[in-house]
Parts: sequence; structure tokens; C-alpha cells
Amino acid sequence: MSFELDEIVIEEGCRASVLAARVSSRAAHGVSIRYVVDGREAARPAAGAADPFGAGKRRMVVMRRRAPFLMACPAGAADFACCGYLVLVLASNCPMDCSYCFLQEYLADNPGLQVYANYADAFDELERMRRRAGGRSLRVGTGELADSLAFDRMTGIARDLVEYFAARDGLTLELKTKTDEIDNLLAVDPRGRTLVSWTLSPQRVFALAEHRTAPPAARLAAAHRVLDAGYRLGFHLDPVIAYPEAERDYLALLDELFDTIAPARISFVSLGGLRMTPALRAAARRRHPRDPLLCGEEVLAPDGRYRTFTPLRVGLLRALERRIAAANPAITRYLCMEPPSIHRRVLGRAPTPVAALGAQLATVGTAGAER
Amino acid sequence: MNEPALAEAIRAWAAQRRVDRAHLERWLKLDERSAAALLEAARALRLRVGQLHEALTMLDEIALVEGETVGAVLARPALKRILEGAGSAPARARVFVQALRATRFPRLARALERVKAEVAALRLPRTVTVVLPRDLASDELRIEIRARSAAELGESIAALERSARGLERIVGMLGGEGSEPDEL
Repeated sequence: MSFELDEIVIEEGCRASVLAARVSSRAAHGVSIRYVVDGREAARPAAGAADPFGAGKRRMVVMRRRAPFLMACPAGAADFACCGYLVLVLASNCPMDCSYCFLQEYLADNPGLQVYANYADAFDELERMRRRAGGRSLRVGTGELADSLAFDRMTGIARDLVEYFAARDGLTLELKTKTDEIDNLLAVDPRGRTLVSWTLSPQRVFALAEHRTAPPAARLAAAHRVLDAGYRLGFHLDPVIAYPEAERDYLALLDELFDTIAPARISFVSLGGLRMTPALRAAARRRHPRDPLLCGEEVLAPDGRYRTFTPLRVGLLRALERRIAAANPAITRYLCMEPPSIHRRVLGRAPTPVAALGAQLATVGTAGAER
Repeated sequence: MNEPALAEAIRAWAAQRRVDRAHLERWLKLDERSAAALLEAARALRLRVGQLHEALTMLDEIALVEGETVGAVLARPALKRILEGAGSAPARARVFVQALRATRFPRLARALERVKAEVAALRLPRTVTVVLPRDLASDELRIEIRARSAAELGESIAALERSARGLERIVGMLGGEGSEPDEL
């Protein structure tokens, strides 16, 4: 996959960095490169642009990250049962353009596609965290504020990460993507410590809402290839969008998944219903006015987000959960951003405590993959 | 009415009702037939500004989901009956907005109808109110008891005990039990 950029902006202080050199040398012919003192300015919304967020996706800013690289997952909240995911922010924003994406709200003031040239500093943070964890297994991912692999052909960061994690007990890297951009991964041995996860959606959702992503079949084919290369696999059916034929389509998607990847080789499947804050819904409707999937039967839920009304949402998630359990009851399943009562209704049990689920997700599937 | 005259008529109605700029712009962006049909509906039902905003948003979304124009949606027999029916304008306006909601949220409307039918079948005394979550947006059921004497309280509690099975079934329905997603 190749994503078009309008320009590359490099912070002066990063001019000599490895990342700047890689990006400059691998940029497509005709993409302009300019240098600025402070990359943060270039990451702000372009004045006068009809769609500043969309314009930000086409402007790569190579800059130094001033804030810590590690953060708690922004989806976490006291009301929800969480999975203990830790986010490593190596980039911000994504060249793909899913109509439901929360970044449309989260990065509205900061939409430039930032890539951090000082990413090696993140390894020091990881090392400190690993020492503090006292032997507890942790799962760290780069796919929350950006797609983990979308620009890997240009940045080559994934390989550095996989090699770092391959040498560290107790840490699992999760690379989350909607691309089939895996070639760099195939060249390195993860030693069972990197998990690649794909967000999966039915063809209808892909066609209507997931612009510039890889088609579902291409994602599954890529998953098969990284599995063969020693990576663990996870899948996110998130967001599940409850359009009228959704149950049929999502169940068919699961069947396709289990036909392509043996269920015993899947480390986990997460499920999450579509949820949008009013601000996100407004931004999404403004940017994608012809997407009917944004006009489903979502109502304002007690947490202040638009969600599919509860009986329909729970019924759909439960149908998917049953199909996954029927394929292999040992696959770890969890829900994202749902309260404990919904966990009980969908999974038939109370949510696993966050630390325990985090450790479980960090280690599940390692027995088969570790070399 | 030609296009400039229609736009002027819409602007005049909107100014009189203080329709905000964003909604007015959306209205004016509709195709001519749709914009005119909405103006006709707004006049016939004397829609309040909140009702107009809600109706426009829902009509726009129904039209998108169903691949029709707003004008075609408004021409459906069920809505036409309300627009042309007897009764006071405010009463018809309320029914009109309700009908739009049922069209915009068809599965929610059916699910709500089922749950409300279950509640009605319990035949609870008037001192007991079963409060469903608004728009079935959560799985929480609330039960209110009003009592002014120990006897009244006792009667309410006894009625709830007799209805325990039914209430359990309703709580289950709020959590998606009793019907598959495709049945809604």
C-alpha cells in the first residue's frame, strides 16, 4: 500500500536523524520537503483548508516528541472494564480515513501526521517501566493514535521495535493495523514477543467507511503471512456497526477469519460496539456526509456517547461472541469500552480485572510462537 | 414557486421561528422539491424551532440511509396522513416527529413496543411505575413506588413480588435477551 503525501515537514533539530534520512530518501517523487524550527506549528490545522483534518493526513511532520512516549490507553475509564493496553505514541494521525475514527475529534487541533524522530528515547521509558513492573507481563501497542504499519515502508520503525521487544522478557508489542504493510516484519524474528493485530470489518463497512485501508481479504492474507513468520495474532472486531444485515455479515466475516487462520493460533479477539461522542459524531457526519453507517440506530448512552441502543448492541455482540467461542472456546475474548454489566450479558461472566487481563493478553499464544 | 421565491419563503419562515444558521443552510441545500415539501410541512404543522431542527436532521438521515430524497420521504402515506389530517397543528406536529423517529429508528421502535407491551401486561398498580431507560440506551430498569401509607406500600410490594418473573423478563429484554438482532 502506498499513501500519498502533499509534503514532508522536518523539524530543523531532527534534520540529521535516522528517521528524517529514511523518510527523505523514501518519499515519493515530487513530494516537497521543507524544514521548520518547530514541527508543532506544522502539525496544527491548516488555515483556510476546507477539511483541515483531512489535509493533516497528507502532511507528514518529522519532529521531536516533547511529551512521554508511554501513556495509558485513552479508551480507558473508570466506568469501563479495560484490557490494560499501554500506548506507545510513536506517531500521531493516520493516512487512512475511516468515517467513524475517533481521531477526527481527538486530533482536531493537531491533525498533522507526526512521526517522532527521537523514538529511540521510548526504549528508555520502556526499560524503566519494565523494571517497575516487577516481572509482570505488559502489552504495549503503537496503534492507538496512529496505524502501527501504515508508513512503515518509509519509516522502518516497526523493525526496530520488533528487535527491541524480541530481546525483552515480560514485554509484548502489539502492532495494530488496517493495512497489509508487513514486508518489514517478515525480515525479523519476533521471538514470540510481537503480536500483530488487525481490525476486521465486513466488506460493506470497508467499502462505505474505511477509506484507503486494505480490503478485509488482504488483511487476512497478511495475517496468515505474519503468523508463518512467527508473530502472534489478534483481531479487533471494533467498531461493530449494527446496520440491518450486520449480524449476517459479521458472522460471515468470522467464518472467513477461522477458515484463513486456525482458531487455535489466534491469541485474542476483541469486540466493541460503535461509540461516538456528540463532537465526534458531528465531525464524522460533516466529513463523511454520504456514509449511511454513521446514521444507524445510535442513541445517547449514559456515558455521553452515541451507541447502538442496548438490546440490539448486546444481541449482536453476543451472537459474535458465541460464534468465536464455538470456533475455539480457548480464544481470549474481551470487550472494549463497555461497562461490567454488558460484559456479563455478552460474555456470561464478570470482566477480568484489568491487570490480570493485561497480563493474559501479553502472554497468550506465546507457547506456540516463542522460539 | 420558483427557486429564488422558495429560498426567500424558507428564509422568511426560518427568521420568524429563529431557525439557526446551520439548519437553515441544510434546508436550503436540499433539492427544490424536498425543500418545498419541508416548508409545506413546517407551515401545516406550525413546527416549533426544536421540532424543525429534529425533523430536518431525521429526514436528512432517513433519506441518506434509504437512498431517497427528503421530498420522497415526506410523500410517504404514513406522513402524508399526518400532514393532511384533522386535529390541532401542535398535536399533529408531535405525532409527525414521533412518526419520523419511528422511521429513523425502526428497530428501536419495535424493541420499545415489545418492552412496553410486557410492562403493560404486568398490570401493576398505579402506585408502581416501571421506568425504562430513555431510548433503551442502557440495560438498567428502575422501579418507583409511591406510597402514603404502610398499607399502600405493602400492596405495591406484593404486586411487585407477584410480577417478579415478568420484571426479570423485562430486565433480560433490556439486555438483548428474547430476540435475535435480526428479529428486531
